[in-house]
Formats: sequence, C-alpha cells, structure tokens
Amino acid sequence: MTRFRRSLRQTLTIARRDFTATVFTPVFLLFLFAPLIIGSFSAIGGMGAASVAGPSDKARIVIVTPDRYARPLAEADTRLRAGYRRDETPPELTTITERTYPQGQARAAFRSRDYDAVAVMYGPLDKPTVLYGPLGKTAANYLGLLAGQALAAEKLGGAVPSVTLTKVAMTRERASTSGRNQSAFFAVFGIFFLTLFLAGQVVGTMAEERNNKVIEVLAAAVPLESVFLGKLIGMFGVALLFVGFWGTVVGKLGSLLPAGAAPALAELAPAIGGPTFAILFAAYFATAYLLLGSVFLGIGAQASTPREIQMLSLPITLVQVGCFALASAAASRPGSGIALAAEIFPLSSPFAMAGRAANSPVLWPHLLAIAWQLVWVAIFIAVGARLFRRGVLQSGSVRPFWKRGKS
Amino acid sequence: MNADYAITAEGLVKRFGDRRVVDGVDLTVPTGSIYGVLGPNGAGKTTTLRMLLGIIEPDEGHRTLLGTDHPRDASDWVGYLPEERGLYPSMKAKEAIAFMGALRGLDWRTGRARAADLMETIGLGHAADEKIRKLSKGMAQLVQLLGSVVHRPRLLVLDEPFSGLDPVNQEKLEALILAERDRGATVLFSTHIMAHAERVCDRLAIIAGGKRRFEGTVDDARATLPSRVHYRARRDEGVAAALPADAVRHGDDWRFPLPAEGIEPLLAQLIERGHGIAALSIERPGLHEAFVNIVGRAAAGETAA
Repeated sequence: MTRFRRSLRQTLTIARRDFTATVFTPVFLLFLFAPLIIGSFSAIGGMGAASVAGPSDKARIVIVTPDRYARPLAEADTRLRAGYRRDETPPELTTITERTYPQGQARAAFRSRDYDAVAVMYGPLDKPTVLYGPLGKTAANYLGLLAGQALAAEKLGGAVPSVTLTKVAMTRERASTSGRNQSAFFAVFGIFFLTLFLAGQVVGTMAEERNNKVIEVLAAAVPLESVFLGKLIGMFGVALLFVGFWGTVVGKLGSLLPAGAAPALAELAPAIGGPTFAILFAAYFATAYLLLGSVFLGIGAQASTPREIQMLSLPITLVQVGCFALASAAASRPGSGIALAAEIFPLSSPFAMAGRAANSPVLWPHLLAIAWQLVWVAIFIAVGARLFRRGVLQSGSVRPFWKRGKS
Repeated sequence: MNADYAITAEGLVKRFGDRRVVDGVDLTVPTGSIYGVLGPNGAGKTTTLRMLLGIIEPDEGHRTLLGTDHPRDASDWVGYLPEERGLYPSMKAKEAIAFMGALRGLDWRTGRARAADLMETIGLGHAADEKIRKLSKGMAQLVQLLGSVVHRPRLLVLDEPFSGLDPVNQEKLEALILAERDRGATVLFSTHIMAHAERVCDRLAIIAGGKRRFEGTVDDARATLPSRVHYRARRDEGVAAALPADAVRHGDDWRFPLPAEGIEPLLAQLIERGHGIAALSIERPGLHEAFVNIVGRAAAGETAA
C-alpha cells in the first residue's frame, strides 16, 4: 500500500470515528435544531419590537379642511397610495371639517383618544401647516403631496386626467449592478453565517483525545497530519449534514413563496450564472470551513482544558467577523485594491471569491483561488500538527506556545 | 533490510530543552524475541519507545523498524500500548478494539469479529458491547491491549504494560505476550517490575539516565553480579578469620560473594579448622539485584563525574 493510500485510509478512519461520535448522540439533535431555537427567539423578539416601534392600526394622518376639499383629498389619497409598497403605505387618512380655529382643531386631533395622529395638516392647501409626531416626518411630506394633488384637481375643475396604464413585466438579460452587489453580499454573508455556526465546532475536538489520552494511540498509528485532517473532514461531514438538513427545509419553504417573488429573485442573479454559482458557493463553503477549521483546530489543539477552549472562542469569532468585514467591503467594491487583498488573504479568500462569483462572469480566477485556498489548508494543518507534536506530544510537560517563555 | 532484527537503533538522542532525556541509546531487538527495556522512573524508556515508533523524531541517531528507516511505513504491522492508557469513553469495547485495528489497516468487520473472539479468550466476552466508561480500569486496560494485537502485528510494543493490573490480569498479560511470540511476533516492552521481565524476556536492555547501561539475556544480567554464599558454622568462634574479608554477618549466618576460585577451597579450610558446616547455600543473584547494581553503578558514576 502506498503512503498516500495508507494516509487516506487512516484519515477517513479518524473522520468516520469523529462523525459517528458527534452525530449519534442526543446532543447533536440540540445542535441540529439550534437555528430553530434561535429563529423562534428572533421571531418573538421581532414581533415584540414591531408592536412597540411600528405604527398601529389606530395610526392616522389627519387633514383639517373645508368640506369642499374632502373629496378631492380622498381621491388623491387613493391615487397616490397605489404607488406605495404595502409595508410603506402611509397611515389611513382622516379628514376633519374645518371650523373657525383650525390650528386648535389640529392640536386637538393630536390629543384624540379615538386614533393616534401621526401627522395633522391644516390651513390653506397652497400654504398648509403640518404638525407631526416622532414617526410622522414622511407622513407630513405625503400630506403635502395630497394638498398639491387636491389643488391641481380644483384648478382642472375637478376632473383629473385619467391615465390608462398598460403594465408589461420584463426580465433583464443580465442582472442589475445593484442586484449583483446584493447577491455578492448574500454570498459572503451566507458563507460567513454557515462557517460562524459550524467551523467553531472544530476548536475543541482535539481536547477529547488529550483528555482521554487517546492521542498517543492515534499518534503511534497515524501521522498527526492525518489525525488533524481526519478530524476536520469528520466535522465537515457533520456540517454538511447540518447544511443539507436546513437546505432541504429552506428549499421546501422557498417553494411556498408567492409567484411575484420570482422576478425579485431574478434581480439577484449572479454574474457567473446560477448553476455555476451554486457549485462555487458549495466549493467556497468547503474551503472556508477547511481553512478556518484548520486554524481553529491547530489553536484549539494547544488548549488542554475546557476553560482554555472557552477563552479561545472570542478571538476565533473576532477572526471570523474580521474576514467577513473584509470580504463584505470587497463585495461592494469589486475590482478594487481591497477586493484583491480580500481575495488573496487566505482566511477571507473564500468569502471574497464567492462575492466575486456574483459580480464577475470570469471563471478561471475561481479555479486558481480554490487551489490557493487548499494549499493554505495543507499549510495550516501541517503547522498545527507540528505545533501539537512539539508542544503536547514531547513529554507531556512541554507547554503550549502561548505559555512558553513564562516562568 | 535486515530480517534478523525487528528493531535497530544507533546513538538515539533526544533533548527536551537543555536536558538530554535519551543520550545515545543503541538497541538491537532480534526478530521473534521478547525484549525488555528496563529502567527506573525517568530513565528515558518511554521517550526511546516513542522515537522507535516515529511518534517523535530523534535529535540524533538512526533507527530501523521492521527493516524500514521510516517507522510510519511499518505502522500497519506494529501494535502499541502506550504508558498512558486512553480510549474513547463513549465507544463500546468491541468497537474500540476494531477502531484500533482499523487505524492499522484492518477492515472494521474483521476487526469486530476478532475483537469478540479476543475478548472471549481473555475472559471479557460479557463486556464486548459495554461502553468503555462502564468498564473497570483494569478491564479497559485489557481492552486497549487487545486493540494493540487485533490486527496481528509483526511487532508489539508495550510501554509499562503491567502497571495498573491485578495479579490475575498480570498473568493473563504474560500469557498473551508469550502467545504473541509463539505466533511469530516480536514483543518489546518496557517495565520497572523485574519479575515479569525475568520470566518472559529473551533479551533485555537496562536504561538509566538516558543511557543504555546493559544489553543481553537475563542470565547475562544476573552474571554481572557474583553468586552469594550463605554459610552457617557449627562452631562460630573465630570463623571470621577463615572467611573472605567482605563476609558480613546476618544473625547466625555469614554472607559473602562466591570467591573467584570457587567454594571448594574455602570449605576445605573451614572443615580443617573445625568450624564445620551447619548450613550452606549458594544463591545466584536475581534480575532485581542485577538491575539495582547496574543502575546504582550508573548513578554513582554520574555523581562522580
């Protein structure tokens, strides 16, 4: 048997052990359903926040006006409202018949307990005054538009020209630039989110071997590089299971989206093409996981107690957030110096290149980038194994690198 | 490749910081033999074994394992029981043995079948499907030992295999070591318990202070000390003058090293002077005494240096 085949077999043996030891435990279910728990809390929090911050059903915009303007204002409101998205529609319009002291009426409207006035307009329509509350600045502008429309209708003798609109849905031959930027950001964020969730799991895996003293058995039978790679592959298998499960769930939920959502999604089409992008996304997720995982594994292997591992989680998260920030900047400025730096720096390269796939149709840089990233995976594993061999295996008394030099 | 020796080592050196933990050790382990590496605590035995197996690299020197300069290339034919025992607590015993076999190239199915047989043979059949965390320390140690032989290695390396075992299990381990040798495997084990080495080793090396102080058979080791004479006179008065100068009294007995010319001239003299012989025995020194002597000499030499 060649060395390569033997190493491969040993690596897969380690990977298999780690995969089964992780998946066939009750704790794994907790891990698998963690997004559901997080999602539930987010939904509850979101609903609470919406009920506190958003306009309620009792929110109103109010106009104090002579009776003759009530109808044109209502018609103008109907026309203008059609131009807004549902979640951006101004509050319902209420008109109050103007009497001798409209300013007092307007202020009284603000104090009304029958509704929550967001903005109240009074005075002549060519020079109206609008009182508005903390959430009413946009509504105040809207009231101004209504006033203009009502005046125009009055000048035209009440007959606003009718427009017969023919709407034809179009699809672009290529995604818009803003759509590409958005899809680039989504790609960067998607990989960041997945690796944030999953790559950190690798940190403590060597601790099991150290604490149970299995490491010597492994180290005698298997090169440490194979141990490291096997553990990485085993945990990557766990990550794939996680992604596969949630990918299926999200896919099924996606099929429930309304038909009108398709054109909006088409705007997000990546420059390199949907299927190629999907393959590259998967490849970059894999390399991002392996790169960050190999770094975390190497660092985590130096830790010998759960406390030390816990202490490592903060700098590790910061590294991930840093890479995300760099890659996000790259996605918003494709072709810039910062984009090139993010694409070359090994730890941010998968994120940045996924963003590039959304922004640029050229394929060959991706092949180069994946090879470059895999080289760094090998380097990180080799360095991690060397540090482990020197720091941990020597005699059990040699300190990890961050403790060396201390008395 | 030299098929006569399962292991050769020349001038192995390992430094940890400024300390030479292993300082020029030479070893030649004949194929098919049981070879003991003896030494006091901290002598460098474990570090030597680790270097031989390629777990750590020597700073100086050269070694071959089953004919190859790269111990990793021979890893599928080697079984190893480290000094610090370790198994995955959540694994079942049979699975743990099969896993260790799989690391050495044995397929899982064969590994499980052999694991069940081995556990049955050693009297642990009832625990085959128990998780490691539920086994006693001694049972877990036996499981790990079986894991080191499940793939039928050509070389079995055991680091302090007897420590932590009760006398019954020590007997089982001795039987297993002999069975492995009879199967054709070479067995190398380290220990500081002389009785086991004396019973099973074909050859041995004594390491102290990182250096090899002795290499040979058990008999060779015992021969490093003269036999001791235990003598009791019928008439004790004035007998000291007839005995060698280094004779020491222990109660009614006198003890002294066997004279180089043999015991007969001395006995003739004692009888002639009328001291007679109430009791006489000549004891060959055990490995224990030889070990203490060799290690003690080494320590004295280092102190003098």
